[in-house]
Amino acid sequence: MAMLMAAAAMHGCMEWDYGVTEDFSAPSDGLFIVCEGNFQYGNATLSYYDPATREVENEVFYRANGMKLGDVAQSMTMYDGRGWIVVNNSHVVFAIDPATFREVGRIENLTSPRYIHFVSPTKAYVSQLWDNRIFIVDPSTCEITGHITVPDMAMGNGSTEQMVQYGRYVFCNCWSYQNRIIKIDTETDRVVESLTVGIQPVSLVLDGNGKLWTLTDGGYEGSPYGYEAPSLYRIDAATFTVERQFRFRRGDTPRDLQLAGDMLYWLSDDVWRMGVTSSRLAVRPFIESRDTKYYALTVSPRSGEVYVADAIDYQQQGMIYRYDADGGLVDEFYVGVTPGAFCWR
Amino acid sequence: MEMKGKISGIVMTAAALLAVTQAYARETRTLGEVVVTARRPMKEIGVQKTTFDSIALKENVALSMADILEFNSSVFVKSYGRATLSTVAFRGTSPSHTQVTWNGMRINNPMLGMTDFSTIPSYFIDRASLLHGTSSVTETGGGLGGLVNLSTVPDVAPGLNMQYIQGVGSFSTFDEFVRVTYGSDRWHLSTRAVYSSSPNDYKYINHDKKVNIYDDDHNIIGQYHPEERNRSGAYKDLHILQEAYYDSGRGDRAGLCAWYTGSDRELPMLTTDYGEERDFDNSQREHTFRGVLSWDHWRSTWKTALKGGYVHTRMAYDYSREISEGNWAAMTRSRSRVNTLFGQASGEYTPSRRWFFTASLSAHQHFVRSEDKNVILQDGDRAIVGYDKGRIELSGSLSAKWQPVDRLGLSVVVRQDMYGTEWAPVIPAFFIDGVLSRRGNVMLRASVSRNHKFPSLNDLYFLPGGNPDLRSEQGFSYDAGVSFETGKAGVYSLSGSATWFDSHIDDWIIWLPTTKGFFSPRNVKSVHAYGVELKASLALQPAKGWLIDLNGAYSWTPSVNEGSKMSAADQSVGRQLPYVPRHSASLTGRLSWRSWGFLYKWCFYSERFTMSSNDLTISGRLPRYFMNNISLEKSLSFRPLDMQLKLAVNNLFNEDYLSVLSRPMPGINFEFFVSFTPRFSQRKNVVKDDIL
Repeated sequence: MAMLMAAAAMHGCMEWDYGVTEDFSAPSDGLFIVCEGNFQYGNATLSYYDPATREVENEVFYRANGMKLGDVAQSMTMYDGRGWIVVNNSHVVFAIDPATFREVGRIENLTSPRYIHFVSPTKAYVSQLWDNRIFIVDPSTCEITGHITVPDMAMGNGSTEQMVQYGRYVFCNCWSYQNRIIKIDTETDRVVESLTVGIQPVSLVLDGNGKLWTLTDGGYEGSPYGYEAPSLYRIDAATFTVERQFRFRRGDTPRDLQLAGDMLYWLSDDVWRMGVTSSRLAVRPFIESRDTKYYALTVSPRSGEVYVADAIDYQQQGMIYRYDADGGLVDEFYVGVTPGAFCWR
Repeated sequence: MEMKGKISGIVMTAAALLAVTQAYARETRTLGEVVVTARRPMKEIGVQKTTFDSIALKENVALSMADILEFNSSVFVKSYGRATLSTVAFRGTSPSHTQVTWNGMRINNPMLGMTDFSTIPSYFIDRASLLHGTSSVTETGGGLGGLVNLSTVPDVAPGLNMQYIQGVGSFSTFDEFVRVTYGSDRWHLSTRAVYSSSPNDYKYINHDKKVNIYDDDHNIIGQYHPEERNRSGAYKDLHILQEAYYDSGRGDRAGLCAWYTGSDRELPMLTTDYGEERDFDNSQREHTFRGVLSWDHWRSTWKTALKGGYVHTRMAYDYSREISEGNWAAMTRSRSRVNTLFGQASGEYTPSRRWFFTASLSAHQHFVRSEDKNVILQDGDRAIVGYDKGRIELSGSLSAKWQPVDRLGLSVVVRQDMYGTEWAPVIPAFFIDGVLSRRGNVMLRASVSRNHKFPSLNDLYFLPGGNPDLRSEQGFSYDAGVSFETGKAGVYSLSGSATWFDSHIDDWIIWLPTTKGFFSPRNVKSVHAYGVELKASLALQPAKGWLIDLNGAYSWTPSVNEGSKMSAADQSVGRQLPYVPRHSASLTGRLSWRSWGFLYKWCFYSERFTMSSNDLTISGRLPRYFMNNISLEKSLSFRPLDMQLKLAVNNLFNEDYLSVLSRPMPGINFEFFVSFTPRFSQRKNVVKDDIL
């Protein structure tokens, strides 16, 4: 009995701070930073940065909703006044009010969602990893309404990624153990064409001239799928043909292609950029790495300032560096673990 | 090896006493005095060792070795859930720094470097001990944290004996155990089997999620944390252990131990998973055979032993999704096959009562085939992503122990390891102990060594991400401690120890994400792990028929990253490593009265950080937790058989806790056990192996 009494004294209470919510009223010109967290930890977070005041609020999804964002937050897209956060290993897409960060809806039971692209207020596509289908969802009801099966792609190495739209067609890069860009007719929701590029196209953007730009990462050494020098491709969206290929050195790791006006930006250890009309890749980086692990990149559509995420050791709060358009450091601030994507409000 | 000046007191040891009370309920228990000659085995000069008594190991049939270690030591057991991966780490190191041997053969998975203790049923282990830090060098290399030494023993009761135990518990859990033994002057035979199964769908409040309440226009009008069940957590584990020993009676013994494990386990979904359980299959199957043949040869001044072993493991991991009714598509289909051949020769020589020498040479030859993914190639053909590698691992050691005077012991061990074609630097280790006071048997111990650990095969070759350029992790450690042991015959025994340890480990290997979407290991950290370990035991016989036994352990374990900053923004330097608690403690208390027994178990882990920078963010820390388990048992004796009834209550205070982020643990749960031991003969058996 004495032992039990002692046990009762020693059992204590867990120090959980569950369910407490905060009210936010975020300024309108801010930047969301989507932090992946660590795979299987369920520690993805969302941060919000106000460039005007240089103030950052971390973990805003949890603080506003009293629940976690999930496991491996992959991307975020603004549409129709809502922010849509794709949480890969939680099989969910959350819709939030970008001012209050409160959840306004969710799309559940996806396979392994990566990105969401909005075709209309009642139709959006959600790309997937390890699934050969792009999910069709209705954003107004948050329900899955159908699938687009990608031809010649198995479930186990299925991979569809970023999507851009040119007219009635949506283009999507197929990345993991893939080598092509697919073209989807948004009226029939079918893949109507595909274009082979290099190994593992990892990023896709569309410029104002109707040109698609994609970066391939070249695979990895020892991959049975192949290993080659990465490339940057320019593809004419109208004819869906490759117009130009810019080759990197084998071993380079280009990723996270971004477009700002007529300038392309990407990461490959350092931050690089080139004009969309340039005839060759830059020979010097725009911003050099400083023992940093640059993991994500964005360019302000308003100021042209460049924001780069440093994941450091991927197990602690990452750092965001804010540079002016000439590469001068303006600000730096900590966010969540493994900042992997940005989204301008 | 009899030590002069042995403390030949009559000490009542709790283990021996309780062994009597816990044994087959065949006789009225009389608590005799147990003579313990408290001499130090020369083999263990200066060694920091924790030994688990058979009562702890055989507490109940539902327990794995992870459960035993959690409640009977202060090592850190990191559990991903009930019947899910459970790893063990010593002294602020990582699970891969814990070496594990079974009957002398290393059983760490050569692909991962670590051991899943949830797949080792405690009922299959007769003898278990921990060698902390430096002390592991006496048995094997690579144990930067320490060594868990598990073995079976040949001793069985004379004649034919049998025991059957049935356990029925919460969450439709069923545990069954059967053992049949036969003992004669020459032969000792034993067959054991355990089968455990459960849907394992315990309820918990999911604090990481909220369920939305919508109006007709699909607007959210309310939210709440749902009560969920542990999803995708079912398991079925079968273990069979066959042992056969032949003793010549002239100093020779040959033995065979063969252990089969068949495990079919689902992998539980995270608390943050919004997938439908019925739409996903996330499961793992394992078939493992471990076998050891041994031959021991004793003479008055020397002993030799030969061992040969084989391990075969096939593991299958499937992650599938139902894409239409009954149509499942594989997203990940991993297969791995490990074959390990083991051989060991060892010898001991005692030329005089002052000297003791040992030599050992062991070899583990691994053959590993790992298939992680099926992919369609650019030309339409199919290929497998994986690796197919072999590696020989040799380890040789020489040691000399010397007792210049009765109170002082000195030991030196020199070990040399070779993995593949890589020779490790020679591992030297020095040990010293001395009796400070014969009254209370107060003893000082100290040791120092360097050590190293080679990368695992996955570290080197896994595709994608394996890094063949990895360096071995290297460490330098020392410890020093004091212990005492005292008692009064038939009244009490009291013992305790305190140990300071300190180690520096360089080139610590961590798997980190890459910019190509996969993880890759790198040598990134230098770690300084230090602290204090305390242990205490008290056994009391307050009155005739009564026994009280208390055992406690505590560790204070700062484990600090002392590497260079990875960049100017790096906040991890000088911080505690993730998932290493600074404080851990355990306590067990047993109360026995005649044929009744009551057991109370308690353990404590302090706050664990999940981030290298130790940020106190929402997901950056796991709160401390205390765990309390109790059990009550009653032994019954009838003419044809003996019976034992036992009720175990786990998580007595229904603690809402996590060991690992997003992995819910069960609340209060119960299991009832009944044990039958038929009497096959009227001969009074001397029971050496208590059960239940």
